[in-house]
Amino acid sequence: MQRGNPLAPLAGSAAAVVLVTAAIFLLRDSVPVLSLGSLYVLAVLPVAILWGRSWAVLVAIASMLAFNFFFLEPVHTFRLSDRSNWLALAVYLATAIAVSELAARARQRAAEAEQREQEEALLGELSVALLQGESLVDELPRIGSATGSVLGVEGGSIQLGDEAGPGFELLAGTRLIGRLTLPDGGRPNRSAVRRFLPALASLLAVGLDREELERQALAAEGLRTSDAVKTAILRAVSHDLRSPLTAIRVAAESLTSSSLQLSAEDRRRQLETLRVETRRLDRLVTNLLDFSRLEAGAARQRTELVAVDELIGQALSGVDADPVPVEVKLPREIPFVEVDSAQVERALVNLLANAQRFAPMGTPVTVTVSAGDEEVILRIANNGPAIQPHDLDQVFEPFVRLAGDDDREGSGLGLAIARSFAEANGGRVWAESPPVGGAAFGLAFPLAHVPVEVGR
Amino acid sequence: MSGARVLVVDDERQILRALETTLRGAGYEVETAPDGETALTRAAARPPEAVILDLVLPDRSGIEVCRELRTWLDAPVIVLSAVGEERDKVEALDAGADDYVTKPFGIDELLARLRAALRRAAAPGDPVVEIGELRIDLDKRIVRRNGDVVPLTPHEFALLRYLAQNEGRLLTHRSILREVWGPSYQTESHYLHVYVSQLRRKIEPDPTRPRYLLTEAGAGYRLVAPAPS
Repeated sequence: MQRGNPLAPLAGSAAAVVLVTAAIFLLRDSVPVLSLGSLYVLAVLPVAILWGRSWAVLVAIASMLAFNFFFLEPVHTFRLSDRSNWLALAVYLATAIAVSELAARARQRAAEAEQREQEEALLGELSVALLQGESLVDELPRIGSATGSVLGVEGGSIQLGDEAGPGFELLAGTRLIGRLTLPDGGRPNRSAVRRFLPALASLLAVGLDREELERQALAAEGLRTSDAVKTAILRAVSHDLRSPLTAIRVAAESLTSSSLQLSAEDRRRQLETLRVETRRLDRLVTNLLDFSRLEAGAARQRTELVAVDELIGQALSGVDADPVPVEVKLPREIPFVEVDSAQVERALVNLLANAQRFAPMGTPVTVTVSAGDEEVILRIANNGPAIQPHDLDQVFEPFVRLAGDDDREGSGLGLAIARSFAEANGGRVWAESPPVGGAAFGLAFPLAHVPVEVGR
Repeated sequence: MSGARVLVVDDERQILRALETTLRGAGYEVETAPDGETALTRAAARPPEAVILDLVLPDRSGIEVCRELRTWLDAPVIVLSAVGEERDKVEALDAGADDYVTKPFGIDELLARLRAALRRAAAPGDPVVEIGELRIDLDKRIVRRNGDVVPLTPHEFALLRYLAQNEGRLLTHRSILREVWGPSYQTESHYLHVYVSQLRRKIEPDPTRPRYLLTEAGAGYRLVAPAPS
């Protein structure tokens, strides 16, 4: 569709008439002038192709008037002396109009074909975009302006939803998908609007449905995962509550039973069991809270400069020295780290409790601290069973218990929490099987730069 | 009964320690083992008169330990099970365990089960068993309730005899079926339910509220002397 400046078709039409008139003027001596009238078709045809039917008819009429005025007796008047010339003029006019009609139709078809091609290209492009999973909402501005230009206007916007409002309704069947608003004063191609908008609406409907399904699938997946986590937590918790509860119940009932004969030493032992097991329950509750906080992403760091021996000291007060003692080996120069000391203490307590749990009766757990150029490494080792090579990474997964670990203390959360807290503080944690035997866990943090006056 | 030697097998140190102290306080001689291998070794070195066995051990399952003990040891085995381990519990009973308690158990319950198990083991094979108002003559195959003869079919009598010979002990469906109907019937538990129901109508004062023939849900049956009401 050519639009805009009407001067171009006016000037073109005038030029076409003038050119053909001039040609006839040059030829009128060698060819019978009446037969030359048919040359005006050459003026009508290009105008019809370029600017359409109306201009072509205008050119045909102007041509006949010019032919009459310049070449038919009496010349320089619009009168005709020979009656048969009227017939000739009428035939020329009819021919010119018929030709212009044909040309204009061909031109219109071409334009329509081009229009549909644009529409289909846009629909195709949208289908691909939507099928590739691009977000409909993100794509909407682009779709709006592309739709506008397909309909022959500059810009356009689409609002999704079924509220009433201004603009063209986007109907997929009877379902109102949204509205298309075009800029004021724009004159969209009506037939394109009728044709294109339903197709666009259907496509948007498919896109919306797909996104909805995707959302539902994601939500269902999330629910399933959280169900699995809940089941695992419940199983671990019920197991871990039961063991200390059994020991506590037996010890407490024996202390209050009148039918049992307990020595002072027996009573001390039962009280010790109560103390140890209540502490274990407390640790379990702390771990569960830590885990749920970590899962919810709610654990925040409050980092501070802290000496490694201080960290270890804090952690040691969180574990029992009996029946498995902990031996600490520190380097002469105490390294500093910049961490959230509460979180790293939780990580250390869990690693220590784990090492104690698997240590054979009467053998200690050792914590060895070494500082490199960039890292401080804490190695927590025991003389317990070695960890199988393929389990070295596995042990840090939540709720994972290795073979033979089915009924031991621990929820399967401790090491997972240790890893999360270590990593949240810029550190790392790993399991290893030392060549000398036993099992060991490494915990490494970046060495903190210590101002000289603070260092010891 | 006191003075009997009891072997306690559990990998939880604190449970082991609390049980050891408690049982000693109740007059038993106690040995402990933290895993299955140690338990079998200690039992072989000094055969205990009763075993308290946790079902989940670090080296091998309590069921395996129970099965192995049963090949040479007659002493009663009481298993410690937990909610969620019902299947293991029944399997352990099938493997020859005498009874179970569920963690966390009270000491009164455990001591009562232990006493009952030791009493059964010590009781001679008396041909006449008296349980509450029931008097069961195993040789003459006559059952009386308050002196009145209770007519029983052969299968009903075989069922009652097996339960009576194991008075107080929990018998699994499988073991009852095997004993009363034969090995090829040991999974036909509907037989058992029908006969238990018939037997209850003959021996129980109120069959809907059994006091002699008790059901242990999901595990089996137990014949007991009714608690004085």
